[in-house]
Amino acid sequence: MTTQSYLPVPPGVGMEENFLCLDDILLSQEKLPTRTECVFPRLGFVEKTSDTRDIPEGTKMEMPLWLAKGLYDNKRRLVSVEQPKIYRQGWRTVFSADPNVVDLHKMGPYYYGLGSQLLHFDSPENPEIAQTVLQTYIGRFRRIMDSSQNAYNEDTSALVERLDVLERSLFRTGQAGLNDFQRWEKGQASQITASNLVQNYRKRKFPDLEA
Amino acid sequence: MDPSEVEFLAEKEMVTIVPNFSLDKIYLIGGDLGPFNPGLPVAVPVWLAINLKQRQKCRIIPPEWMDVEKLEEIREQERKEETFTPIPNPYYMELTKLLLNHASDNIPKADEIRTLVKDTWDTRIAKLRLSADSFVSQQEAHARLDNLTLMEINTIGTFLTDSLNHMYKLRTNLQPGKEAGKSQDF
Repeated sequence: MTTQSYLPVPPGVGMEENFLCLDDILLSQEKLPTRTECVFPRLGFVEKTSDTRDIPEGTKMEMPLWLAKGLYDNKRRLVSVEQPKIYRQGWRTVFSADPNVVDLHKMGPYYYGLGSQLLHFDSPENPEIAQTVLQTYIGRFRRIMDSSQNAYNEDTSALVERLDVLERSLFRTGQAGLNDFQRWEKGQASQITASNLVQNYRKRKFPDLEA
Repeated sequence: MDPSEVEFLAEKEMVTIVPNFSLDKIYLIGGDLGPFNPGLPVAVPVWLAINLKQRQKCRIIPPEWMDVEKLEEIREQERKEETFTPIPNPYYMELTKLLLNHASDNIPKADEIRTLVKDTWDTRIAKLRLSADSFVSQQEAHARLDNLTLMEINTIGTFLTDSLNHMYKLRTNLQPGKEAGKSQDF
């Protein structure tokens, strides 16, 4: 049966993150290039490159997403966020030309997640960023579907290499569907096999017993 | 759904057998199963047919669509049409597997039948993927597919619904005016 040992919380793909989702927690660690709009007194030690006591206005720093989201305010008094390279005009044209060519894993494994989160920071380019992210997803969908539904019992690392995290979870779902069907066709679906958890548990227990 | 669950549903289909024992009419919750007389064909559900066959108490007669010429015709028609053709039985894949595994001696040309059914299956799955791809790339709101069987829907179902969910969420990003609250409700 396709029961998992636990049901993970799925990532909130849109502008809201899911608090309990591991993928979203890792996503919020991604760094964004930011620029401070006011002085941060006595926080100079955070900025390793400069030796001043405070962080002066206008410093360019890299902040993780969670910090940038927390400090960002609509009146833009504290920080302003610049878009990372891949969401800017140049890369957007590449994505609209052929989304299948790009190695999304190298470009930051959370392309879709970060793209959606960037929309929190008001910028005139937001609609285009959202549109590019959507079109990239649609463009790459075909290849993910074909590769996940046809690779049976093969090493899939070459296929998965260029996918971002969201696409990888989709790939896994497709593979699960395919594997279930093939197992059923071979007649293994009605065989009772030991669960993964029990097998791993046994492997760890024996040395303890013998010690 | 599991493929095993779909197979379970398929076992409700009726098939003809020729028993070699005799038994009076039995009254089951699902319906009555007619009196069994040796040598006389009687219609029973597949689960009972498989069980009797395993105990060597009957001979299974293949359903009329499980025939080489008929299946070849179906396969050719499937390849010509762009949409899904109506197939003789909504559980053709499961029945083929069950009957050919347990009763291949009662079914003539079993291997050819297996190949033909597999070919038809492959063609239909390819059409399904094509249709899913055009569904996504044109961002349609809904699609209609006639004459699909449960097993085919089941194989691609989870993948398709997950990807459509993602697409929907990415699409709502395009709506201007984000929600004011950043709180989660859990």
